[in-house]
Amino acid sequence: MPLPRNWPGCSGVSATMSSSESAIVVERLCKRYGTLLAVDDVSFAVAKGELFAFLGPNGAGKTTTVEVIQTSRPATSGRVMVLGMDVARQKSEVVKRIGVLPQGFSSFDRLTVRETLQYYAKIFSSRIDINTLMDLTDLRGKAEVQFKTLSGGLKQRVGIAAALVNDPEVVFLDEPTTGLDPHARREVWEALKGLKSRGKTIFLTTHYMEEAEFLADTVAIIAKGRIIAVGSPTGLTERHADQLRLTLKMRQPRASGEGDRESMRSAPEIVRSMGFRSAAASDDAICVPVDSAEDVRRILAELHAAGVEMRDIDVRKPNLEEVFLKLTGDTAVGTVNRASAAGVAI
Amino acid sequence: MTPRIVTATLAVRLRSFYRERSTVFFTLAFPVILVLVFGMIFTRPEQLKFDLPVQDNSGSLLSAALLSGLTQGDAFVITQVPTDVDAAAYARENKLTLLLVIPKQLGLPPGASAAGEGGGTPAAAGAELTYIFDPSSTSVNTKIQLLNVVIGRINQQLAGVPPVITLAPVSILPKRYRFIEFFVPGIIAMAIMTSSLSNALNMNAELRQKGIMRKLATTPVTRTDWLVSSILYQCILGALSTGMILVVAYAAFGVRLRLDAWLVVIVALEIVVFVGIGMLLTPLAKEAESASAVTNAVLFPMMFLSGTFFPVEMMPGFLQAFARVLPLYYVNEALRAAMIFADTTSVLRSIGITAAFAAVAFVAGTLQTRWGSEEKT
Repeated sequence: MPLPRNWPGCSGVSATMSSSESAIVVERLCKRYGTLLAVDDVSFAVAKGELFAFLGPNGAGKTTTVEVIQTSRPATSGRVMVLGMDVARQKSEVVKRIGVLPQGFSSFDRLTVRETLQYYAKIFSSRIDINTLMDLTDLRGKAEVQFKTLSGGLKQRVGIAAALVNDPEVVFLDEPTTGLDPHARREVWEALKGLKSRGKTIFLTTHYMEEAEFLADTVAIIAKGRIIAVGSPTGLTERHADQLRLTLKMRQPRASGEGDRESMRSAPEIVRSMGFRSAAASDDAICVPVDSAEDVRRILAELHAAGVEMRDIDVRKPNLEEVFLKLTGDTAVGTVNRASAAGVAI
Repeated sequence: MTPRIVTATLAVRLRSFYRERSTVFFTLAFPVILVLVFGMIFTRPEQLKFDLPVQDNSGSLLSAALLSGLTQGDAFVITQVPTDVDAAAYARENKLTLLLVIPKQLGLPPGASAAGEGGGTPAAAGAELTYIFDPSSTSVNTKIQLLNVVIGRINQQLAGVPPVITLAPVSILPKRYRFIEFFVPGIIAMAIMTSSLSNALNMNAELRQKGIMRKLATTPVTRTDWLVSSILYQCILGALSTGMILVVAYAAFGVRLRLDAWLVVIVALEIVVFVGIGMLLTPLAKEAESASAVTNAVLFPMMFLSGTFFPVEMMPGFLQAFARVLPLYYVNEALRAAMIFADTTSVLRSIGITAAFAAVAFVAGTLQTRWGSEEKT
């Protein structure tokens, strides 16, 4: 029975993106649930062979967007092409060439890992060697174990293996590491890197910034149903968080030492007197945004000269997390939304 | 629909089934246990025998003849009650539901009796037997009726007059039929209903809750593949369950039931009815826990009001009217018509109504079954 489709198409929109180089092209995608516009006029493209990370806070519209792309949810309007095929019209063709790890993957409790993969291989009529697939995802040792008894990390790896049974060209992974411990997360990352090295296009949905930073070629940030930034992790951080951040922790002042108390009081003042903004990070620590390593050296020299004793010094490069927080913060979203609506993209 | 996908999915479901012991028990063993237990409770020896305590105050030849008449044809098993006790008090103390008291005068010449209102034969002396009974007992009325019949027969024999009117029994059934023959088709219908409904409801709720539907929606598995494999799965379980019930009923109670193609048709239709109802109710059962509550809310009224355990005719009129809107009622009617009465007209009528239920439930259930992420999760 065909799935219900509501596919009015977008009037006045011309296909501007080439689909020959792109694995995925999304044009003016909208998805509405009653009065809620979950995905609001989203457009982007994913190049073949790249690892594309789709970032966004909970409820931003990530999963809805992905589900439209991977054919399991109809769009309200807009067009989505996967490998040059329209997902609304060629669902059965698209499905054969993509692999999906849905959010919170689970499988039949009482089937073993081998049986689970055999089932998925059968429904895709794939002749893939299950042993090779299990080796690739490091599941060989668990081949005869029932799914229900596996740990969270192993279950996710079964999900990744199940997404690969048809040797797909595009692999969708929706929050593959959510709920995993750091060790299991690293294992999943290694598996993803392996996939990428085999030339797969990977569409990764996550809300872990370090994951995107570690793995992605391209990052798109979505908030409140709209794409607010697209670019490489480095490009995004350079553009949106261009300052280093220096955090200084002072030694606790000795009760009897008058001079120490004075130097404590003066540390933020010294920094401010040099023309930097400083903010108290805690009782005995300050945080200073700086532009260069030279600034750091100057501040440290000045404080040292003033007799301030430092317990800890931390210089941090801006990272995706700061970009994300800045862009998805309530105030930021409004301005960036306007910017992106006006056609400003990275 | 892709046969490859249907068979692969069916194999997965069957494998999951036999690895889940509690499901195996409730699907296959539970109905069999019901047959055994109810069969043992209700299947009595061929002829019913009632205990009848008698206080024989007469001890005469006539009373001896009377007692032997009462035991004739295995109607009653007589136990003697001492003559030196008060009969009513004795019955109360010993919780007797019926106690027959033969008066002293019985068997004495007519002159000795006080009345003597005429009547030619010695037995027509108007001796009055008394029975002391417990009106709160549910079975006592049957006993009293039987007692009246037996006394009437003895009276008539004593009078030496051949009966003017006699009754010859002609059964509407081709063979003798006992409670167990009535019960087994009901249990088959109940077992099929339970497994079809709860599997359709619980399995879909569980798969949805666990996100398996979400995964399957991104594979070549279609809704049709899924539904067809569900129906086939139920048919295999239904065949297993029906087979086990019949084997046990034959082995333990020697039931005499007709087994023919009608049984297969009726069971298949019933599966479609209840898988359809299960799909219709799935939106009410988002989680596996609420699914079992919804299942029970449907199962119990059906089970008790559709004539599974006792004939619908035993219920008050309004409940009988209610039973006639329940699909299980028609399944029971069809199964009994086919297996006991071999009444093709009645089978066809009930099958027709069941098929109508099946069509409506299945089409409605299919239409509103969501596949994958069609609705907002």
